[in-house]
This record gives sequence, structure tokens and C-alpha cells, in this order.
Amino acid sequence: MQSLRRHLVLAALSLASTSLATLPSLAADGPRIGQPAPDFTGTDSNGAQLRLADLKGKVVVLEWTNDGCPYVGKWYSSGAMQQLQRDAASLGVVWLSIASSAPGEQGYVDAKKANDDTASRHAAPAHVLLDPQGVIGHLYRAETTPHIFVIKPDGTLAYMGGADSIASTRISDMQKAEPYAREAIEAVSAGKPVAHPVTHPYGCTVKYSS
Amino acid sequence: MMLRLLSLPLLLALLGAPVAHALESPPVKTPHAEVTLVSETSAVAPGSSFRLGLRFRLAKGWHIYWINPGDAGEPPHLDLTLPQGATASPIAWPTPQRIPEGPVMTYSYVGEVLLPLTVTAPADVSAFPITAKASWLICEKICVPEEGAFKLDLPIGAAGSSPEARIFAAADQRIPTPSPYAASLSPGAALTLSGADISQASVHDAVFFPGTWGAIEDAAPQTLTVEDGKFTLALKPAQSFDAKVALSGVVAITDAKGAQRFLAVSAKAEGGAADAAGAAAKSAPVLAPVGSAPTAKSLAAPGPAAPADIGVAAMLLFAFLGGLILNLMPCVFPILAIKAVAVAKLAGNERGAMRAEAAAYTGGVLVAFAGLGVALMAFRAAGSIAGWGFQFQSPTFVAALAFLFVAVGLNLSGVFEIGGGFVGAGGGLADRGGRLGSFFTGFLAVLVATPCTAPFMGAAIAAALSSTPIVTLGVFLALGLGLAAPYLLIALTPGLARLLPKPGPWMAILKQVLAFPMYGAAAWLIWVISQQAGPDGVLATVSGIVLVGLAAWLVGVTQMREGRARTLGRGAAALATLGALAILYGVATAPLPPAAALAATEGESPFSTTRLAALRAEGRPVFVNMTAAWCVTCLVNERIALSSDAVRNAFTLRNVAYLKGDWTRADPAITDFLREHGRDGVPLYVLYPPKGEAPIVLPQVLTASVIIEELDRFGS
Repeated sequence: MQSLRRHLVLAALSLASTSLATLPSLAADGPRIGQPAPDFTGTDSNGAQLRLADLKGKVVVLEWTNDGCPYVGKWYSSGAMQQLQRDAASLGVVWLSIASSAPGEQGYVDAKKANDDTASRHAAPAHVLLDPQGVIGHLYRAETTPHIFVIKPDGTLAYMGGADSIASTRISDMQKAEPYAREAIEAVSAGKPVAHPVTHPYGCTVKYSS
Repeated sequence: MMLRLLSLPLLLALLGAPVAHALESPPVKTPHAEVTLVSETSAVAPGSSFRLGLRFRLAKGWHIYWINPGDAGEPPHLDLTLPQGATASPIAWPTPQRIPEGPVMTYSYVGEVLLPLTVTAPADVSAFPITAKASWLICEKICVPEEGAFKLDLPIGAAGSSPEARIFAAADQRIPTPSPYAASLSPGAALTLSGADISQASVHDAVFFPGTWGAIEDAAPQTLTVEDGKFTLALKPAQSFDAKVALSGVVAITDAKGAQRFLAVSAKAEGGAADAAGAAAKSAPVLAPVGSAPTAKSLAAPGPAAPADIGVAAMLLFAFLGGLILNLMPCVFPILAIKAVAVAKLAGNERGAMRAEAAAYTGGVLVAFAGLGVALMAFRAAGSIAGWGFQFQSPTFVAALAFLFVAVGLNLSGVFEIGGGFVGAGGGLADRGGRLGSFFTGFLAVLVATPCTAPFMGAAIAAALSSTPIVTLGVFLALGLGLAAPYLLIALTPGLARLLPKPGPWMAILKQVLAFPMYGAAAWLIWVISQQAGPDGVLATVSGIVLVGLAAWLVGVTQMREGRARTLGRGAAALATLGALAILYGVATAPLPPAAALAATEGESPFSTTRLAALRAEGRPVFVNMTAAWCVTCLVNERIALSSDAVRNAFTLRNVAYLKGDWTRADPAITDFLREHGRDGVPLYVLYPPKGEAPIVLPQVLTASVIIEELDRFGS
């Protein structure tokens, strides 16, 4: 009888483990709002390794950037992106600028150039991640520069999309546009729901390799 | 005299220089484009409408975007300043091309394009000067925002055709017209157009361009199914997709002769009734609900609508047959070892006991299949990806199974007997006589058989999963009955049972011989681990097996003793087993190596949806092979059919592109591709004929002649 019970327990366990084996699976179709944001480990422009999972407990912003893209140019030459980064930092948000351009493509930066760019344009990200192989970019299906993702302290994705609502390279359009990224960052920091969690990311395509 | 000198210029000034009326503005020349504002009419008749257009001549390799640029880009903007009282319509956008840029899809124009709009002149106009400012984003690999200013001064008079009227006519060829067909949208984003004149000849290929971003995934392939009277494009819904909101856009149809039509379409889902798939539609891509039967002559896996069409009875029959065939599949072979030993033991029993054990075996199979079905449904409902054979995608499971098979082999080799501890309980369970042993034999058979999706099984399961839970469960149980049937048959038919050999010393020899298929299966699993977790994974697994061996020996050597020795033996065995389990945990949590490419042979490229779309856009035929390291049917097909000289030569001759998708660790893009073709597991072989014709799904058991036959159907 004892061994029978043991065997039945084993049977139940094996069935359970079969079912559990499905769990380690992957995010369906790239990142989704409300689901855990895909974890990654990246190297920043100072050589440090950074893992997204280690940032749990903080609001994290991912900003795909390419300094040659006129849309990114609009945001940085107007000072708006830098201001947003500083405002976010004052809310305790960890801002990660990510360069996924492949070597030889527009927007590719090595560590020195990344730091020089950050200094010269007075940007204020917490880290600049160098992603020349496009690993993080493909993981998040980053399509454009800029492309903004906002991750809640519990690790789930709260916003993915454009920096604001008007897809243009004109600075004058920024005043008329709805500032989706800013709104999302403020909402998540205040623990409120994001009004527009999925918006159209606009910009130049991310210059992945091949 | 001075007066005369002065009067001449004055006279000239009074007469005025003749007014030059141009019908095309001076060009704005940028490094990548030449742009003008052009009029279709030679003169403006007061109160009438005429057309203006922004004309682009783009440098080679550069493109500008459609009103919905797609995943990236920006459409051109035009600001017109017209005389008072005149009005202008929005631009009537000609249908663009689908141009992938890396992983994203854009809708853009190359070469020459005219963007026309209609202007209405007031009745009391005496002059028609026009100024315009336009800005556009032009891209090749990088993007450059450009702009220009334009001036036109149109004469007033009777309307006529300007010299540029012909380019307006050319643009008209691609401007969409209202669709004559009724359009409907399924909750799974399948767009259907119905009309009496739709047939395979009139709709050879079709593509949908969404009018706005966000409803569908632009880069996803659009599977076309055509029948007499309607055609369906299976689109992939994006995160914000809402079937109740009208989906508008343009459908570009090419007929069998290559002529194209562009239809402006708007469709939304019928209100009300949510079908079984509907509830899950928002959280996960699902198969489209039941449609009507596909044309009998198309061999093509008809696409998402088809599997549900089979009808419940047919589904159950196919599932049963699938289960029967599973007995023949290479990966069920190791279990035969266990089964054969069990059958050998039965030979000496009473008929009644034999039946009871066969029933127990069937019970084990059915319980396992039911459990899998329930688990699969639960995860499907939860919206995660769960394809058939999912267990084998986890290296932990594969390693655990390797441990189990080695333990069973050791038991069969006589290293230890049952009754000792829980190590080798799997084999011990199955090896155990009586009903319980048979029950667990059946159970084990199912676990190992799952990755081999036999013909019929894949489609039946995919169909079942899009039906009601009862049907799903029924299909799984029918599968189980099929798998158990041969064994049941032997038990129930006394005649057959009498054919079984009488017990004797040969049974012990047989038992030891049958250990070797178990070791062989463990070797295969170690190979699978090498694909999934690299050399480190192999070392870990083999070390675990050593520990399992140690545990088995400890149990065996202390089994016959009494008291303390036995307890010590068991304890040490337990420790060794814990060690093996710890290794399993290590395998589970170790960082995975970059997806190991299955040995890529010359001429193969890794599968990606954009690569497929690009190759099809080129008009090349494409052969897609979806495979996985743990799928034995796949590997057999690759070694035999796909590697044969005849097939390789045929591919080269017909310029067939070979795309291989590796599903060893469950790539979601491949899972979606499988679902789109009504399958839930590998292998899947899809042949795309040249010039964008409908794809053909090849059978899961491939032979070189099947492939070559299909290739021959293309013509040259």
C-alpha cells in the first residue's frame, strides 16, 4: 500500500512536471502590455553589465536612439528628450538609452562615442546600453528610433510606442503633440494606469545588421 | 528727346511682359528626388473641379511613404494656398508597395509617383495662382527629411488636358476604387471578401494594406485562401486589434493573368456571438473560426479556417488513426521494450488477467492523453504558446527523461530489482506486473510519443484546440485509443494471445536485450541536449546519469540484505538521486547558449517571416522546413528525402530558396507559422510556388518523389 501511494504520487508529479515544462516558455509575439517585460543583460558605455531583473522595484524606461536620425535629432536639438530624462530621474526612474545600430550603420556608437554624445548633448540617461548585435532590440521588437518602453517596478510592461503623438521631424509639432512617453512615465511613477499604453512608434528604422 | 527715352520703358511696362502660364511648377531638386506640382487641366473653368498633383521622381534605391507608412516612416505633407473660395480635397493616395526594412514592414513608393488631389474653383475666379509647401521623408538606408516650395499660375479658360494629364491617368491605375465585394472580419483578424465573380482565376494573389497603424502586424505574412465566391486573407492581429472597430484599407488583387485591381475596403466583425476562439482572440493569436469547406482541388493546407471544417466525426477518426500510426513512429520504439516485456510476462496468465492488464494499459494511455489535453487547453486559454511536443523544448525535461531511461535500462539489465526506492520507479513501475505496471507503461508511452506528430495528428489537434473543450478532449482520447489499440487487440483476441511464445528462460534474456533500446534512447536524448544546452548540458546530463547509475547499483547491492545495510543503501541512493536532481536544476537554470543552429548545409537559410516575404516578393519559389532537434520524424526526412541528390538538384534547377526554421526551443514566430497552417507541431513542410501562388503543404512523411512531383507542377 505504501509503495502504491508512492507510485501514485510519482504519477501525479510526472504529469505536473509535464505541464510545468510549458511554463519556461517565452513571451508570445514580443513584449506585451501587462506581461513581464523580457529580461536581458546589456553592457553599458562604461563597461558595466546591467540586468533588467536587477532593476525590479524601480520604474525603468527604455529609449532606442540613433544620433543620425532626424526624429531623434528633433528631440535632442530641442532639449525635450534631455528634459524628459532629467524629470524622470527626479522621479526615481532608471532611464536606459539603447543603441542597437550595427557597426557601420547610422547611429552605431562605441563606448567612447556614446559617452561623448551624452556629454555634448547634455543628456541624462542612467545608462547608455551598447547593443550593436541588436539582441535587446530584437527581443523588444524595437522598430524605430525613438521607440519608448516604460516598465513598472514589478517588471511588467506598461507602455510601448512613440515618444509623442505627432510623427514628424519638426520641432514646432512637439508643442501640439500629446506627450505619450511623458504621460506614461508620470502615470507609472504615480501608480496610475497609463491612458495610451500602445501607441505608434515613429522615427527612422533601427539599423540592425543585414 | 529725354521724354522719348523715358517713354519707351514706360510703354513696355504698361504693356506688361506676357504672363507665362505654366502647368507644372519649377522643380524642387534635392539630392534624392525631383519634385514638382503639376496640373491635370490646361485651364481652370470657373466653378469647376480639376486635379493637381505632387509629382515625385525618386533616386534609385530611395522611397517615400504612403499615408500609413507602416512600422516606420512618415507620409509626405502638402500645404496648398489657393485663391479665395477655392477648396482642395485630401490626397487620393495610389496603392504603395510593401517594402520590408529589416524586421519592420513599410508601405512606400519607389521610382516615380504622383499624389493627386481635387481642387474646386469658385464661380467668380479671374486668376488662379497657387503656392504650396511640401515636406517629405525620403529614405534609403537612412532617412532624410526634405521640403520644397512650389508655384503654379493656371490660366482661366475652358478646361482641357495638360501635357501631364497622362501621368494622372497612370496614377489612376493604382488609386483604389470602392470595393464591389462584401467584406467581413473575423475576431482573429481574417479578412473575407465575397462576390460572385471571385475564383482562383480572378484572384490569384491578394495583399491587404491597412489604412492606419496598430490594427494588424504589418510584417506578418498574409495567407490567402480562395474559393469560388470568396477569398480570405489571414491577417495577424496586433496588440491593439479590436474586431469591433472597422478595419479599413486597400486590398490589392492580382488575377491569373497578372492584371491588378485595388479596392478600398472596410470591414468589421459581426456583432454579438463570440465563438470559442473569440474570447482568446485578444490575448493570443488564434485560428479563425469555422468557415465553409475549401476547394477540393487545392492540396494547399487551406489555412486557419480549414482544420475546424473537418467535422467532429472525421476529427475523431483521424485522431484514432494518428494514434495507431504513432506506434510505428521511431520515438515510440523504446517503449516497445517495456511493452514487449510486459506482453511476454502475460503469456502465461489467464485470459481475464490479460484483459484486465490491457484495459489498465489503455487506461494509462487515456489518462495521460486526457491530462495533456487539459493542460494544453489550460495554457492555450491562458494565452501562452503551447505547441504539441512542448515538453521536449525544455532541456530539463529531456535530461530527466534521459535519467529515467537509463534507470529503466539498468533495471532491465538486472542491476537492481523493483521494490527498492523511487529511483527507476518509471521503469520499475512499468516493469511491475499486474494492472498498475500496465497502467504506467501506457502513461510512459504517451510522454515519449508526443514529439512525433504523425500525419493526421497535427491537423486533428489543431482543429480540436479551436473547438469546444469536449471535442478537444474527445480528440485526445481518440488519439489514446489509437495508441493503445494494438495492445488491446492482442489481449482481447485469444487467438492472437496464443501466438505469443510460452514463458521460459528466454524471458530473462529478452529482458536484458531490451535494456539496449533504452540506452539507445538515452543516447538520442543526450544528443538533443547537446543541441539545446551545448557541451555543458551534455556534461551535466552525463554526470547525472553516472549518479543515477550509482544510485541504481546502491539499491541493487543492498536489496537482499536486511536492516541497517538496506536502509544505508537506500539512503545513499537517495543522496545520489538528489545529486542527479540538483544537476537537473542546474540544467534548467543555466543560461542557454545562443540558439545552436542545426547543422546548416549549403543553400539553407534560417527562416524568418521577413525573409520569406522578401523571397516571395521576388517571385522565387520557397521551400520552408520547420524542424526541431528532438523531432525524429524531421531528422529522418532530412537525412533521407531532403538530402537526396535528386531533391537538391531540383531545388537548384528551379531556383528554390530553402528556409529552415529551428523550433528546438520554441520560436514564437515559428509557432505562429505552424498555427497559420493548421498545425501544432513539427515537422511542417510548405512549398511556395513562384510568382506568389498559394502555398502547398507537403506530407509529414516525405519522399524525394513527392517533393519533385510538386516542383514539376510549377512548370518552369
